[in-house]
Amino acid sequence: MSLILMLAISIAVAAGVLLVLSRDVFRLIVGLAVLGSATNLIVFAAARPGGLIPAVIEAGATQLPAAAANPLPQALVLTAIVIGFALLCFALVLGAYLVRQGGQQNVDRLAAAEPAATDPVKPPVLEQ
Amino acid sequence: MSHANHSEAGGPTYLWLAAVPLSLFLLLVWGLSRHDLPWHVDTPWVPSLGLSLAFRIDGLGALMLALITGIGTWVFVYASGYLAHEPRRGQLFTVLILFMLAMIGAVTADNLLLLFLFWELTSITSFLLVGFNHEQAEARAASRQALLVTMGGGLAMLGGLVLLGQMAGTWTLSGIVAAGPTLANDPRLPYALVLVLLGAFTKSAQFPFHFWLPNAMSAPTPVSAYLHSATMVKLGIYLMARLDPAFNDLLFWEVMLIGSGTVTAVWAAVLALRERDLKRILARSTVSALGTMTLLIGLPSAGAGLAVVAFMFAHALYKAPLFMVAGNIDHATGTRNIGQLMGLRRAMPWTAAAAVLAGLSMAGLPLSFGFVAKDIIAVAKAESEIFTLVSYATVLVNAVAIAVAGVAAVRVFWGPLELPRNQVHEVSWRMLLPPLAIVFLGMEFEFFPALADPLLLAAARSIAPGLGEVSLSAAYDLEALLSATGITALIGLLFFLAWDRMHEALHTLNRFDRYGPAALYDRLLHGLARIAAWHTRHLQHGRVSGYLQLTLAALLSMGMFGWLHTNSRLELTWDWPDHAWAWAVACLLLVAGAAAAATLRTRIAVLMASGLVGYGSAVLFLFAGAPDLALTQFAVETVLVVVAASVLPHYGTAPLQQEPLRASSGVLAAAAGIGVFLLLVHLSNLPVNGELAEWFGRTSLAEARGRNVVNVIIVDFRALDTLGEIAVVAFSLLAALPLLAGLRKGRVP
Amino acid sequence: MTPRSTLLMQSARPLYWMLLAAALWILLRGHNEPGGGFIGGLLAVAGSSLLAIILGIPAALRLQPLAPLPLAMVGVGLAVLSGLAGALHGLPFLTHLWTGIGLSTVMLFDLGVFFAVWGALTGYVYALVDAGETAP
Repeated sequence: MSLILMLAISIAVAAGVLLVLSRDVFRLIVGLAVLGSATNLIVFAAARPGGLIPAVIEAGATQLPAAAANPLPQALVLTAIVIGFALLCFALVLGAYLVRQGGQQNVDRLAAAEPAATDPVKPPVLEQ
Repeated sequence: MSHANHSEAGGPTYLWLAAVPLSLFLLLVWGLSRHDLPWHVDTPWVPSLGLSLAFRIDGLGALMLALITGIGTWVFVYASGYLAHEPRRGQLFTVLILFMLAMIGAVTADNLLLLFLFWELTSITSFLLVGFNHEQAEARAASRQALLVTMGGGLAMLGGLVLLGQMAGTWTLSGIVAAGPTLANDPRLPYALVLVLLGAFTKSAQFPFHFWLPNAMSAPTPVSAYLHSATMVKLGIYLMARLDPAFNDLLFWEVMLIGSGTVTAVWAAVLALRERDLKRILARSTVSALGTMTLLIGLPSAGAGLAVVAFMFAHALYKAPLFMVAGNIDHATGTRNIGQLMGLRRAMPWTAAAAVLAGLSMAGLPLSFGFVAKDIIAVAKAESEIFTLVSYATVLVNAVAIAVAGVAAVRVFWGPLELPRNQVHEVSWRMLLPPLAIVFLGMEFEFFPALADPLLLAAARSIAPGLGEVSLSAAYDLEALLSATGITALIGLLFFLAWDRMHEALHTLNRFDRYGPAALYDRLLHGLARIAAWHTRHLQHGRVSGYLQLTLAALLSMGMFGWLHTNSRLELTWDWPDHAWAWAVACLLLVAGAAAAATLRTRIAVLMASGLVGYGSAVLFLFAGAPDLALTQFAVETVLVVVAASVLPHYGTAPLQQEPLRASSGVLAAAAGIGVFLLLVHLSNLPVNGELAEWFGRTSLAEARGRNVVNVIIVDFRALDTLGEIAVVAFSLLAALPLLAGLRKGRVP
Repeated sequence: MTPRSTLLMQSARPLYWMLLAAALWILLRGHNEPGGGFIGGLLAVAGSSLLAIILGIPAALRLQPLAPLPLAMVGVGLAVLSGLAGALHGLPFLTHLWTGIGLSTVMLFDLGVFFAVWGALTGYVYALVDAGETAP
């Protein structure tokens, strides 16, 4: 596995974590996107990619050549990309909704769904 | 009480439901007359878990079945009268039937796990029955208490049964009983027995778990008569009796049972004197009787087995009618407080008759089966050498039982009628016939013991296989009777006469209630709620950044833990891919995009920068033999950036604020980056397992007729996963629709 | 977003059809060459997004076989159906079958994936575009 790929993935993860821990809703969502991409790359890199030959059986051949890329992580990552896309869309809608409801961008103040506790035992109740 | 709150409710009385237990009872009698015990069936169910539908009916099981269906028949008749004014009686009858079936399962199950299953089912149905009047806070608390105590014990019992099963190498009760003596030297045996006994003690309300039974009296009276005197509370006794042949010789077993049984019997007898509520007095005396049964099981002699079954039988025959009597009084007068109840015999002669006959049996006086049982018990105790203390204790217990019988049968019915005559009325025949029928049955067995002899002896032999040929009637011995019971009867009479004075005197005990097991239960429950609230408040504080920090920190520490427990080599390798320049470009894009996204200050720029990260990985995929991924990533990233840009105005137009770099965020980000780097280095030093890739490459064309192996994996080899994934994507839209509607609601017209 | 370029509006429909054709082509060749339902579906999503942004959501909806949610459900249904075919022949669920002339339940499954991705993701995209248009 190439050192520069390892470094690039690590930097992307660090940046993603930094974004996710931001107090701004939009940065948080972008952080999700960056972390998602980086995670896909970790899975992909685990199979030691290096060659250029895709995991496609050539015409005339009956099986994959030994030098071809490992197809399994590719299949995993492919579906992960699509699900990640759906997740991001959902997060964008949710974020927009919360910002409109709360009238601000700070994630820590967008706590409408979890009001502060008043009773020592009973859980706090959301007022309609 | 229910009858006071509701006017006459129409609809069926469900009297016909009594045919269910009756037909089961007749089936049992028919079977007993035709076939020799034991009967068993065994059908595999989940063999891998050791779970099979193994049922076995021997003498003890048949006796329990006779009680469950026989008493059950009369309880159903009684309930149809008692609940005539209750609009929700359909529910009660449903649960009663379920309870009866669960009980039948519990006393016939031979498989350990099956026994546990039915055991817990009786706890659940008991919960529903105790909490039937769920508008009353008291009933709710009582049902929860009964459930938590008996289910907690049931769980402990499961652990014990599994241990026993592993030690004996069999999953049947009969197998464990057979293997019993060989287990004596196993160091795990005491733990297993303690766990099993926890289950039995909680179910049969043995000290220190005796407190739930009197509270369960908030159940409707038919339920108390059925569950809390005749059947369910005997389940713990049943299990102990079942296991007794295997462990009877263990000192540990003997001490546990005799000790706990004696303490329970005495303490419950004392507590009975403190009560004013007729039903609670009866419940306390039931606990006391259950303690006596536990004590008898613990006795080593063979005659003790006979004593247990005789007492169990007699107790069911007199306690169920007494509960019904209490229910009748409650129904007729609206109170169960013995301070207000006197002279009811004039208004309720039939109820009084049933009470007197049942009371006779409870006191162990002649003309009742209780007399026979008492005699057998005395013989059993004489046979075994028990501590003097225990024998004194039983005198006290019996004396209180006599006093309780006197209160329930004499005190409330004799003397002048205190309540206005027109307020009290005799109850309907459906509530009179059952107690009378049961007590007459009891008397019949006294005069013709041969009727019950075979069943009782068969049951006794299940507990004490060494029991010889005895006849219950042979136990008649006037001399022994006078010497053994005379003194007890005298003390009992004294207790009865001094009931109110002793009640006053025992008020001083109130101050110790704070330290009792019931108070401990309350404190535990309250503490549990407080802990739950406390940690909810500290973990669920509503601050997103806090959640994320905690989650990431936990994830990182788990990774760290894993790291410390692997011996990893950190060797950097300098292998270059085929198209190093393309990889360099891809990595540059990745790093630049990530860094820019984390530092730029306008939303559109941050969005574009995150797009660079995606394009970077797409380029990488393209030059690493993954054209499918490259294509997908390109498409996703493009659509995402364009679409997200269109929603940007929702997030405000002002530039993003400069956020100070918080120490916690910085540390977490750095730790995550370094952690991932170490993980990747570690990964690159591990050997590649190409087995799966090789298999997919070999079979893709041959078996799935596809050349694109990635696609073949997605749509064929792992099609079920893919189906799940597209279902998730599709259904997530369903979840998002309400949110989308909420966004649209604010639309400016 | 209101003042849209005429050139863009004129070219939106042809672009959409081109993207859709490419999507279908990628879907169909996917079993033997790079491509497949996921990628095809995403290209179709790209086409629909283009239409939604340039010509508005109603226009995009008109050129889609079904509304997003039903389309996604039909996709999941098709995938389940393709699995049932094998189950009816006594094989495990999702065992694929082939006919002599090259048609197979694998194609049905991939078509299901295509529709599910197209439907579900356009559902999100339209919502986001719609939200963008109604933004304060």
